Amino acid sequence: MFRPPMAENPPAVEIRDLVKDFKTSFRRKPLRAVDGVSIRIMPGEVYGLIGPNGSGKSTTMKALLGLVAPTSGNCAIFGKDSLKVDSRNEVGFLPENPYFYKHLSGAETLRFYGRLCGIGGKILTQRVNELLALVDLEGARDRRIGGYSKGMLQRIGLAQALIQEPRLVILDEPTAGVDPVGSRQIRDLILKLRERGITVFLCSHLLEQVQEVCDHVGIIFRGRMIREGRLEDLISIEDQTDIVLKDATPELLAQIGDLVSKSPGASIVRTGKPRTTLERLFLREIREEEE
Amino acid sequence: MSTPASIPMQGSNASRILTIATHTFTQLVRMKVFYFMGIFAVIAIASNFFDLPQHEGPESVGASVLRSIKSWSLGAMTLFSVVLSIVATALLLPKDVEDRTLYTILAKPVPRIDYLAGKLLGVLLLVFVSLALMDLLMVAVLQIRTTMVVAQQAEMAKAMGWPQDAIDSLRADTLASGPNAALQGAVLAVFLRAVIMASLALLISTFSSSTLFTTIVSFLVYFIGHFQADARDIYLHSGQAGEGLFARLASLLLSLVLPDFQLFNVIDAVIEGQALPLLTMGKLALVSLYYALFFTIASWFVFSDKEF
Repeated sequence: MFRPPMAENPPAVEIRDLVKDFKTSFRRKPLRAVDGVSIRIMPGEVYGLIGPNGSGKSTTMKALLGLVAPTSGNCAIFGKDSLKVDSRNEVGFLPENPYFYKHLSGAETLRFYGRLCGIGGKILTQRVNELLALVDLEGARDRRIGGYSKGMLQRIGLAQALIQEPRLVILDEPTAGVDPVGSRQIRDLILKLRERGITVFLCSHLLEQVQEVCDHVGIIFRGRMIREGRLEDLISIEDQTDIVLKDATPELLAQIGDLVSKSPGASIVRTGKPRTTLERLFLREIREEEE
Repeated sequence: MSTPASIPMQGSNASRILTIATHTFTQLVRMKVFYFMGIFAVIAIASNFFDLPQHEGPESVGASVLRSIKSWSLGAMTLFSVVLSIVATALLLPKDVEDRTLYTILAKPVPRIDYLAGKLLGVLLLVFVSLALMDLLMVAVLQIRTTMVVAQQAEMAKAMGWPQDAIDSLRADTLASGPNAALQGAVLAVFLRAVIMASLALLISTFSSSTLFTTIVSFLVYFIGHFQADARDIYLHSGQAGEGLFARLASLLLSLVLPDFQLFNVIDAVIEGQALPLLTMGKLALVSLYYALFFTIASWFVFSDKEF
């Protein structure tokens, strides 16, 4: 359900009943990529749109950026219609698998995008230095983009998205094809953006990553939004409670088991040792090896 | 990182177009397109040796070689400028779409017309710089050769006992075949034709799905442009076909959409040593401006509704 927009504090993203049909071959029915999707993201939120490949995630983002025109419905960024150029003053975008101009260096790339946003002179130089430091590419600032690794490309892509200090950042599969270390760096950057109050709208099919950074999620399937809400609300199992103990003796565990069995209606669902994820294990091993 | 939205935005359309144009120029330069300058240098120097042996009198000494230098140089300039303007324009737009760099540019506050105008200006800047360098080389070769020819003619005329006023007159005629304002006008005409071709290639690339298609269609229009005026003329003056209002309107419409490159035949006249009146040059500039604007605005119409 949509709340009426507040003029003084408009949502960062407002997508209303978005429908997008693509023409297919002659005489065939058009392909409906997005079917009545509505999303509202308030400033400061990190929203994850998840769904399998071809479910309409990228089309929704492109409609929000004015790269495709909605068949029906409308999109707005901070209250400004997405089809108008000025709506893009406050948005940064990182497309899926971006390839920037290979003949430019990292610093030249950022300067190019900065100038497109009307930034110049000392402010631009300062901003470029700041962003290269943020994405940890100071060492590769004068190296041509053609020689960048996949992870470096994603990071310079994130830096160009942030060049004009947008209040909203849209990331399409930001960690696709990136190794776990690069992937972690990008997730850390997203968390930094959240700390700074920047709204992030990302889409991914890597669920664990979305779970780590997002506070709101939407699940899109075959062009339709099938579930949406606060991540905590969506994934918590209401009738269960976690208790994680450290250095518990077998006697203590037995006592807890006794207490639970005496309590009417309560039962222990599962006991055992919590496990780390394979990704955390990988990162820990790499770090230890480096040290 | 400072607080969000603290950077003042002062971007004007002109500054964005200039940013995209200079970037496009850099992109093409780094694609090593200037290597063709080496080929041009070879052509300009080689054209020195196309001197037909017709030494019957001082007036014929070197006359053909000066014409040959101008003809080969302007021919090479035409070839390079037309190929560069078509291929570079046809290449840039699909490349940006394929690499998704276009998404990142259009996701910034960049109107689509600014993007198109920037790309076109970048290609034209490259063609202009290339022509300026080729022009410099041609003028240098022509100047050196003209000085040599004047000296040879004076020597032969003196040996044949020509009077001084006849020698002076011959010298003036020969100098007129060397580097002059008309020759610079011809180079400008070569550039104007490239402007039309680049804007046409831009229009085709906005709806074409491949670089190859854009290149082929652009070259086709280029060749049609050389005989469309003749074809229209024959059509309108043959039998009763040209008498109807519809035929005349269709012919007018065709000439408004398809450029008439016969207007650029003035370049051949300059090679033959004729003058290039300022009025003709002005007319050529206006016609070129019309076609360039027409094709660019048409590109914008197609591109503004394009989905990526």
